[in-house]
Formats: sequence, C-alpha cells, structure tokens
Amino acid sequence: MSVLEVNQLTKTYGPVKALTNVSFSVPEGAVFGILGPNGSGKTTLLSIIMDILKPDSGSYTLLGQPGNHMIRKKIGTLLETPNFYHYLSGEQNLKIAARIKECDERDIERVLKIAGIYNRKHSPLSSYSLGMKQRLAIASCLLGNPGVLVFDEPTNGLDPEGIADIRSLIIRLREEGKTIIMASHLLDEVEKVCTHVAILQKGNLLATGHVDEILTHDDIVEIHSTHSEFTVVAESMPDKTGLSRNGMYIQLMFPAGTANAEKVNRYFFEKGVVLSHIRITKKSLETKFFELTQKQ
Amino acid sequence: MFSLLKTEWLKLKNYKTFWILSLLYIFCIFAINYIAHFFIGKILTEKVAKGMAEMVIGVSPFGFPDVWKTVSYMSSFLNILPGFLIILLTTNEYSYKTHRQNIIDGWSRKQFIRQKIILCEIFAIISTIVTAITALGFGLLSDKAFTWGGFKYIGYFFIQALSYNLFALLLAVLIKRGGLAFGVYFLYTAVLETLFSNILSHYSTNAGRYLPLEASDNLIPPPVLENVQKTFTTIPDYQLLFFASLIYLIIFQVIIRWKFLKSDL
Repeated sequence: MSVLEVNQLTKTYGPVKALTNVSFSVPEGAVFGILGPNGSGKTTLLSIIMDILKPDSGSYTLLGQPGNHMIRKKIGTLLETPNFYHYLSGEQNLKIAARIKECDERDIERVLKIAGIYNRKHSPLSSYSLGMKQRLAIASCLLGNPGVLVFDEPTNGLDPEGIADIRSLIIRLREEGKTIIMASHLLDEVEKVCTHVAILQKGNLLATGHVDEILTHDDIVEIHSTHSEFTVVAESMPDKTGLSRNGMYIQLMFPAGTANAEKVNRYFFEKGVVLSHIRITKKSLETKFFELTQKQ
Repeated sequence: MFSLLKTEWLKLKNYKTFWILSLLYIFCIFAINYIAHFFIGKILTEKVAKGMAEMVIGVSPFGFPDVWKTVSYMSSFLNILPGFLIILLTTNEYSYKTHRQNIIDGWSRKQFIRQKIILCEIFAIISTIVTAITALGFGLLSDKAFTWGGFKYIGYFFIQALSYNLFALLLAVLIKRGGLAFGVYFLYTAVLETLFSNILSHYSTNAGRYLPLEASDNLIPPPVLENVQKTFTTIPDYQLLFFASLIYLIIFQVIIRWKFLKSDL
C-alpha cells in the first residue's frame, strides 16, 4: 500500500500555475524527498494534502483513503513554518496539539527531549528563536509516535548542530520503519537521507523514483600540469565521459564509481606529462540539478 | 464536542489580553448602568425639573418591570466589545497560522469553525447573564416589586449580542487581517450602518431598520425617551424585527461556514 498517492493535482493562484498535473506515489517505509527550488510548488503540494489549500483539480489518497481529518491525526506534519500560539509556552502549545491529535499528554515530555527543547518548555513562544520554534515544531510532529511524518524544510532556521540533529533524527525514524515525506530545496540534505525523490520545477514534476536512479552523478578527476602537451593528452584520455575546464584545472568526467586517480596519473606519466595536481571529486548536485531542470 | 471546547479553552486560559478586556467589559456593564441610574435619579429628584422630567422620562426606568429593558438598552452600547474579542481571537489564528496547524494536526475545517461559532454563542450568553444580574440588582434596589414582566428584553439582548459577535466573526473570516477587520467592524457598527439605514429609510419608509445589526438594535428601543420618540416616529413592527434578526443570525453562520470550508486557508 502506498502511504501517499497523488493524482493529477493542479493548482493555480490567479495567473500563476503552482502545480500542473502532478502525480506520484510514496511507498511505505520510504524517505521521500520532494526537491525543488523556491516557488516550485513543494509547500503548495503538501498544503493540499493537509487540506489547507483546495486543488483546482486532481485527487490524493493518504494511507489508501481519500484524505480526511482522522487520517491527519496519525500523521506528524511540519508545514512551511512552525505555527504556534505566541502567548503560550512550548509545553502549553504541545498540549493543544496533543488534544487535537487525541494522543496522551504524557507523550509531550518524550518528544520535547528528542527535539532537544525540554529545558525551555515553560518559556513563552515569543521568547523562542527561530531554531527553537523549529525544534518545537519537530517535537509536535513526533507526538503520538505517528507512522508517517511530513517535514517541509525541516532544517530551516537551524544552526549546523541543529541541522545535524535533525538529519540523524530522520535517519533514526527511517530505521524505525517510519515513512517520511520531506520537502527541501537543499539537494545535499535530500541526498543524505532520502531513499526516493520527486523533483519539482515551476509546478511540474520533472522526475520521480529511487534516489540512486534520479540523482546519479559522474565522478570527476580534477588535474593540472604546466606541461605544454597537457591539454592534448587530457583530450585523449580513454573511458572518460566528458571534459571541462575549471580555471587552470581540467576536469575529466567518469561514470559514477569508476574514477581512478592512479590510472589517470599513470596515463599522463606514460605520455610524458607530470601532473602537479590531482583530485577526485563528485559532480556537485547543484550541477546535476541544473542539468535536470534545463532539459525541460 | 466537549473535548473540542476544552482545547479551545486551552487557547484562552493563558491569554492575558483576553482576560483583561473581558473583565473590563463586565465591569463596564455595571458601570454604564450605574452612570445612567445616577443621572436619571438626579434629574428625577431635582425639584425644578421634576415635572418636566417625569413627562419625558416617566417613572424611574430602573424599577421593575422597566429595569429589564433599561439595563438591556444601556448594556447594548457595549455589545461591540465581545465582537472585538472575537475578531482578536480569530485573526490571531490567521496571523500566527495556528488555524492551519489545528487542521494539519487533525481537526476538520468544520470542527474548527464550529468552535469559533460556539465561542460567539458563549460570549453572548455571558454578556446576557451579566446584564440580567445587573438588571436584577438595580431592580431590587428600587422600591418596585419584582416581576418577570419585560424580561423578554433580556432575550432580545441575547439576540443582539449574538448578532454582533457573529458579524464580527464574519468580518474576521472574510478579511483575515486583524487591523482591517477591527476598523471595518468599528466603523460599520458606529457610523456606517446608521448612515445606510437613513439612506434606505429615505427611499422606503423605515426599511433601514431591517439592516443586519440595525434590526436587532431596534428590538430594544431607548427606554426613557419612548414618550418623546412615539410622537416623532412610527413604532417598529417588533415581530418583523425579531424574525429579521433571526434570519440574519442564520445568514451570518451560513456565510462564515461556507467561506471557511471552501476557501484556501
């Protein structure tokens, strides 16, 4: 059974097309990344699933049923920004969430500890920093230990330590067998934790599938030499899939996992060129993302 | 349903602005009636003006049965305030997007808006109870014997209070932004409706009396100047006003629900 199934969702804001016939499905146990730049429709998509926005057309199912409020109680969701009552404390805010979700209030202590905000539970929300609000929002999602979690930009506003905390939390939740749907504009974040990915751009779904299939990237060997024959030899390098210049360096592309510094070094040496710089690197995901989005 | 109300209570319980305004409001219901009681008492005991005053005012309006009507009328000047609270509480949800969070967490849209409508009803009930107690107090202080006669004005007061609260909720749901909703609510109730009412009445006799809030306002006529008023205007058709008010209550709720259930939040 798929946890979420989206069918031909379309949504417009006046002349702006926020989503155009988007369809995909999220299998159980997946960490599903919805990837796209700002304004690509990620939050709109998740808002529709949460009944915050009404789609122009299309449909969706959650846990095999048409979406409704009883199912939403079983899903922990952080949408766009943390939304809390500013005059209440962190704990009082979670009490309201717990009542709405119909889960035991005793769970509040546990989730506050997981999110690392327990020592500030009595402070009013108005005194929280953005990062603390974000942590409280994550805590709220974990109330009642739901099997499905929806995170929209979960690391928004967090410092590097916070980002690492959330990343390891997501990995831990994945290991517990939970399904996680996560929207992000950070490719790095998606690549590190997601098993599946859907890529959105300007409301269009560009690709969806297993993360290894969608976000494959070539290995790069970056080299430099002052030898006059350097460029000619580089162009004759066998097995490469591409070549590009990056300042004084030349970058040789090889299929993923096949770059071999020793082989490159030996080849150049045998041609009489001594390399003064050699470095294996990965094609940046940003480059890959541009490639994907520019194909359209 | 009780569980939902309890959640709504959690939102209110620690909201200081709400409590300060509510307590001031309740105090002012006593105060505004006390002021009226004080001045009318003074006029009636003033020897020189006595004959004249009795002609205009009649016997003391703070004795039974008139006290029900008098206190309802005086208190109704403050009916605008619970509406402000409704706008405050509802537009707060919009500004902090907590209405979204409530729905994301698992309330249906229907459950959310029903809580707000119930809040309007509870506020109206509390206003009515405070007004009834105030009327009872002033009535007992007078030398007239207790009677339920005229108690219907307390019922009319409830309808008027509920009309203001639901109208405020309607504006909050339609406008969403606190400042603008406050402004429109205040200007409409204070000035614009009277203006529209007069314009309408100009074209069709007394039609202006049946505007949304004007209808329930007119259910409780000014008590002391009734003798004077009778000579200048025709007595309104109270039965028609009553039904018009009830119909507006239904219309307000229908629009509030329709807007909240159908639109993007």
